[in-house]
Amino acid sequence: MSAAIPTAGITPFAPRIRARRGLSVGFMVIALLAITASMLMLGALIVEILVDGAAQVFTDGSSTVAEVRGETLIDLPTPENMNWLAWAMPVAILLPFLGLRVVRSLIADIPALAERAIGFATTLPVALFVHILYVRFESAYYIEYAKAIGVDGASGNIVQLFGEASGFQFVRLIVAGLILPLGIIAAGWFWSSRLRRPSLLLPGIAIAAWVVYLFLDPFFLSSYPSRLPVQAGIFSAITGTLYMMVITAAVAFPLGVGAAIYLEEYARRNWFSRMIQVNISNLAGVPSIIYGLLGLQVFVRVLEFERSVLAGACTMALLVMPIIIVSAQEALRTVPPSMREAAYAVGATRWQVVRFHVLPYAFGGMLTGNILAMSRAIGETAPLIAIGALTFIAFLADSPTDDFTVMPIQVFNWVTRPQSGFHEIAASGIIILMLVLLVMNAAAIIMRQRTRTDW
Amino acid sequence: MARNFFTMMRSSAPAATAAPAASEQRSERAAPSPPSPPPANMKEAAAAGVGVHLDPNLEAVRHDFTEEIEMALQLREVSAFYGSFQAIDKMTMPIPQNRVTALIGPSGCGKSTLLRCFNRMNDLIPGARIEGEIMFEGRNLIDPNVDAVEVRRRIGMVFQKPNPFPKSIYENVAFGARINGYSGDMDRLVEDSLRRAALWDEVKDELDKSGLALSGGQQQRLCIARAIAVQPEIILMDEPASALDPVATLKIEDLMRELAEHYTIVVVTHNMQQAGRVSDYTAFLLAGEERVGRLVEFGPTQEIFTNPLDQRTEDYITGRYG
Repeated sequence: MSAAIPTAGITPFAPRIRARRGLSVGFMVIALLAITASMLMLGALIVEILVDGAAQVFTDGSSTVAEVRGETLIDLPTPENMNWLAWAMPVAILLPFLGLRVVRSLIADIPALAERAIGFATTLPVALFVHILYVRFESAYYIEYAKAIGVDGASGNIVQLFGEASGFQFVRLIVAGLILPLGIIAAGWFWSSRLRRPSLLLPGIAIAAWVVYLFLDPFFLSSYPSRLPVQAGIFSAITGTLYMMVITAAVAFPLGVGAAIYLEEYARRNWFSRMIQVNISNLAGVPSIIYGLLGLQVFVRVLEFERSVLAGACTMALLVMPIIIVSAQEALRTVPPSMREAAYAVGATRWQVVRFHVLPYAFGGMLTGNILAMSRAIGETAPLIAIGALTFIAFLADSPTDDFTVMPIQVFNWVTRPQSGFHEIAASGIIILMLVLLVMNAAAIIMRQRTRTDW
Repeated sequence: MARNFFTMMRSSAPAATAAPAASEQRSERAAPSPPSPPPANMKEAAAAGVGVHLDPNLEAVRHDFTEEIEMALQLREVSAFYGSFQAIDKMTMPIPQNRVTALIGPSGCGKSTLLRCFNRMNDLIPGARIEGEIMFEGRNLIDPNVDAVEVRRRIGMVFQKPNPFPKSIYENVAFGARINGYSGDMDRLVEDSLRRAALWDEVKDELDKSGLALSGGQQQRLCIARAIAVQPEIILMDEPASALDPVATLKIEDLMRELAEHYTIVVVTHNMQQAGRVSDYTAFLLAGEERVGRLVEFGPTQEIFTNPLDQRTEDYITGRYG
């Protein structure tokens, strides 16, 4: 048959299937370089530690605490004197993984021993890193101890870390802020991939923790607000945020998912359900301050919740409910009709179809939508200011009816203060808020990847 | 209960007298003859298994059954509508028990719609409604007072595209029985159902595997096992092999033949050879100009294929259109 086709003058088009292996000489070089570099880096790190001792490598040598205690334990670390280490660590964590990726793409079957070796080279920095964290937290304990006995200059506060707002600091902040989200996204991507690839989750987490370690002080996380910037912390705001988020989710998720199930599975398509649908979409676009005023009247005054966590959470629940409903509806729509038919065909009632099939298959998507809605709620300030959330909370809320504050309000308060010290801790408060947001969004992405069903 | 109803019907109806007459008539029909006059009493005719041309106003051609047989379903003037659009018009025919009945006809003639009337699947489509009577165990299935969920439990369904639940093979089979309050030995039911669906040997070591991980043909057999596990009386199959390769198709067809010993099977198919291979009875449906499906002819498959009474049936079967 092929003979009948005139071929003269026609260049037969045969798409060249480019073999990955054949192309990869350059990658091979990069891989070898990456592995070599990471090994060298590790070696340098180990040698440095062996020669100078951990205390010298990780700290600046100011020995206040040790002097106070009359012991020679460890010294207080500040980031200024460990720049190369700060850079080396993420790279040292990432390089072996990149190397392993490339090696895997080159050689189909890596000898198990080689794989173990690479794996070991990868986990070593992580293990080291955990050690460093330990040292760090240990020193935080001594910082507090030093404070308690009134030693000056022992504060490991953010003010000190940002003391010199030099250009270099700023660049480092930007770059570190990039590494973190990229690392987490990459981690989620690699983790959820079906191909046999080394997981980037561990190094991603390690890098994230490293950045947190570089820029934030545990003391800042565990202190209450203060009139002195040096002593001010964000503890009550973090717990207030968590508290409010939990209640918001507990209120908004069941209601929102229930509404979505009703609209998608039960409601007849008539003018009424269409009106509800349009209104939900509209509510998603209502300015948040209006929800705040609504919450002020309904929850704070009429229902007499006062300026409590409960009132704030209910207001936030109203705010995010449209988002949750719409995303839950989307999730329900991704369940193919054939699944519903299959369940009906074996004699399931409508509720059984929803309960045992539609809901479980759509749940991942619903959860994703919920997390995204929560990450919107976590940054909302206006409605909470409208209902009168406080900014100075020197205690933790015991019950949902207690006063509370949240991170954005705390940051807002610090930003409005005249003292520059408060501006600096406001910056660190924003970093923490961003970290929480990034973690939540990364969790949503990962969850969406993991719960996807190929029908 | 089904048995009770039909035995009652049989004992009360003059079936024994009608059958010999029918057989005589059939042997005479060498040359195409006009359809025999309809029996006066519809009920009698149905019970006797004489024929389907129960209403003189309808144009459907009947064949006479020599076989003495019970009817699983009896349709009387069944019409179905989607909103204002009429999909099928006044179909009257029986579905013989423990036999394979094939619904054939060109696209859009209402085969699937008719099939979905049998287990009230059309209820799920907004704006769909059915008129007429589908008698099942002495009750009209279409009656709004009849519980559609109960109907679907008694009349199972296998769909065109294999649609196992994204759960384990075991859960796929066990689900129907579980929600219907089955209290017996679930493992045994699952094994039984998978065996009957000729799938057990292939999956017995991996019952925990997702149903979606199976091949297309296996998935379809899993769906059949899922339908069987509810222990229905009738299994409806909507082009069950159209998405499968020839080997898998053959397996499904063999399976249909085996299942017919225990179940009544109604199968919609586009594949004439398949209808000829697997079915005992065939109904030919055709949509006219106004796209309303009507029953043209119903009878034993052999008769329909070798000796159709209606010209249109012959045209369709010989591939002249459709």
